[in-house]
Amino acid sequence: MTRILLSDKLDNCVARWRKAGLTVIGPVKKETFSSYATVENAAEFDLGLVMPDRSIKGLFFPQTEPMVHYSIKKQAIETRDFTPPSEKRIIFGARPCDASGLAIDDPLFGWDYKDDFWFQRRNETVIVTIACTKADDFCMCTSLKLAPDSTKGSDILLRPLQNNRGWQVEELTDRGREAFKEIADLLQDGSEPAAAVAVVPEKFNLDACVAWLQNPENFDSTFWKEISMRCIGCASCTFLCPTCHCFDFQDEGDTFTGIRRKNWDSCSFALFTMHTSGHNPRATQSARWRQRIMHKFNYFPGKFNVNSCSGCGRCSRQCPVDMGITETLQAISTLQP
Amino acid sequence: MTENIQTAHQNIYKPAIMKIVARHDEAPGVRTMKLEFQNPAEHELFKQNYRTGMFGLYGVYGEGESTFCVASPETRNEYIEFTFRQSGRVTTALANSDIGDLVTFRGPYGNRFPIENFYGKNLIFVSGGIALPPTRSVIWSCLDQREKFGKVTIVYGARTVADLVYKHELEEWERRDDIDLVLTVDPGGESPDWKHRVGFVPTVLEQAAPAPDNCIAVICGPPIMIKFTLMSLKKLGFDESNVYTTLENRMKCGVGKCGRCNVGSIYVCKEGPVFTAAEVSKMPQADL
Repeated sequence: MTRILLSDKLDNCVARWRKAGLTVIGPVKKETFSSYATVENAAEFDLGLVMPDRSIKGLFFPQTEPMVHYSIKKQAIETRDFTPPSEKRIIFGARPCDASGLAIDDPLFGWDYKDDFWFQRRNETVIVTIACTKADDFCMCTSLKLAPDSTKGSDILLRPLQNNRGWQVEELTDRGREAFKEIADLLQDGSEPAAAVAVVPEKFNLDACVAWLQNPENFDSTFWKEISMRCIGCASCTFLCPTCHCFDFQDEGDTFTGIRRKNWDSCSFALFTMHTSGHNPRATQSARWRQRIMHKFNYFPGKFNVNSCSGCGRCSRQCPVDMGITETLQAISTLQP
Repeated sequence: MTENIQTAHQNIYKPAIMKIVARHDEAPGVRTMKLEFQNPAEHELFKQNYRTGMFGLYGVYGEGESTFCVASPETRNEYIEFTFRQSGRVTTALANSDIGDLVTFRGPYGNRFPIENFYGKNLIFVSGGIALPPTRSVIWSCLDQREKFGKVTIVYGARTVADLVYKHELEEWERRDDIDLVLTVDPGGESPDWKHRVGFVPTVLEQAAPAPDNCIAVICGPPIMIKFTLMSLKKLGFDESNVYTTLENRMKCGVGKCGRCNVGSIYVCKEGPVFTAAEVSKMPQADL
């Protein structure tokens, strides 16, 4: 016997959570793209998507976010809002790759210096993940040693039932249990079997790729130039990536009043590393693409013991020139270490 | 190599408010500013944490923040001095700030020069142009406890005589008999009354020929100068592990999050900016 949540109870659940003061968020299809967005009722969810176009990252590390409002008066600087706004939230229908992405970035935002803006949102958000029963050609979680029903980063894992009537409920954390207490009476015991998880074929041999990347001789390989020749440096891959975390600070306003913002930035941009002197350590697109691959599969795991990729495949799926991590690692797989 | 001495604020991106108490024009477009903390608690934290070699982010609200070393030594932590060249948006705003104006400071960040490991040794400082400030912080840290070190040699060069920074301190160092000061300007950069050397820093360094035994070298300068100075030091017999430098990469957060200062797997902001030449040579050279 397992606990079951039936689909027709979902609207009730949303109402309960909202009543308990939680902002309810889930996959929503918009006019030109899909993303995780706030809903008022369950009808707004689109749970049939393989995954929303935009990753979950923006809910924790927004595309742009005020760090501080400043105002300057004669010989005084007044500032306010140096803390993230508090908001209790539940994300229903996260994908396992998106939830994993958050767990991957936790150590980065927490090493020595803790980024409150990330962690307050992490601490105040319940993540209810639904295991994937379908995948597309770009999905590659299995190649990253994750799975369509990976529990990493999730508070609750829901497994879709075979008969498509609802989900088996797997409570993973206290935060998840707490949120599901609100809807305890809407759950029922059941023995319906879970549907098979999506089949995601392995696209490359990660260990072989990592071995190649770790060989210092390959840093100067002509491979980097060849593989990144098509890259137009648009940064779509980094913005859609659930684990890419680079950012910039920009001040908006004038000498007297304004906002300092933290904005997404990308290692794909030439200006990203450019010194004032004009010297640019990563002056070419191939150097920048090499940095991105090296960072994800060599440097980041060396620091935090985890690959900075959860296999969602968005980088390849949305790339305007059809190159992404999959294509690059597939090509590396065929090279001699 | 070096230990990190860092303490996080409650909000790690919140800068301290600083008052400009003095400013000094060093060279065309190059200015030094002296800042004082306005909040005693923040000053106390700075005094606890600041060690020579660390850097900070200096800013003006409405314009942004820029990364510079702390040019004043840990032995003089009542204030912060930093030197910058006016070239972009933030540095222009800083240059336009006057004594009494308020600016911001985040830090101190990064690692430090392990000065206690230099005790009893000869020191040679080599720097070029506007890279004297990070070296100057180490120089004063050592001069303020001069008896703990052997021979001190300073080799400093700039493109022209006008481009030499800290001219008043160069004069002071020149007068002292416990320092060997070697000044040079690039060929063509000398003025009619220039009494010192003419030549590039690495060449002049080779002519000064410091003995590598029991000697620590601290070098700082533009990438091209560093490259050739390292070759010269190698020629003179210096071991890479006795040569220190500081890497000045573009930074935004200063605390290992924003991703732009990385050289290979190294986060310059957290594992640096101070490295030995041995450590630098292990980094992917193309990304420096």
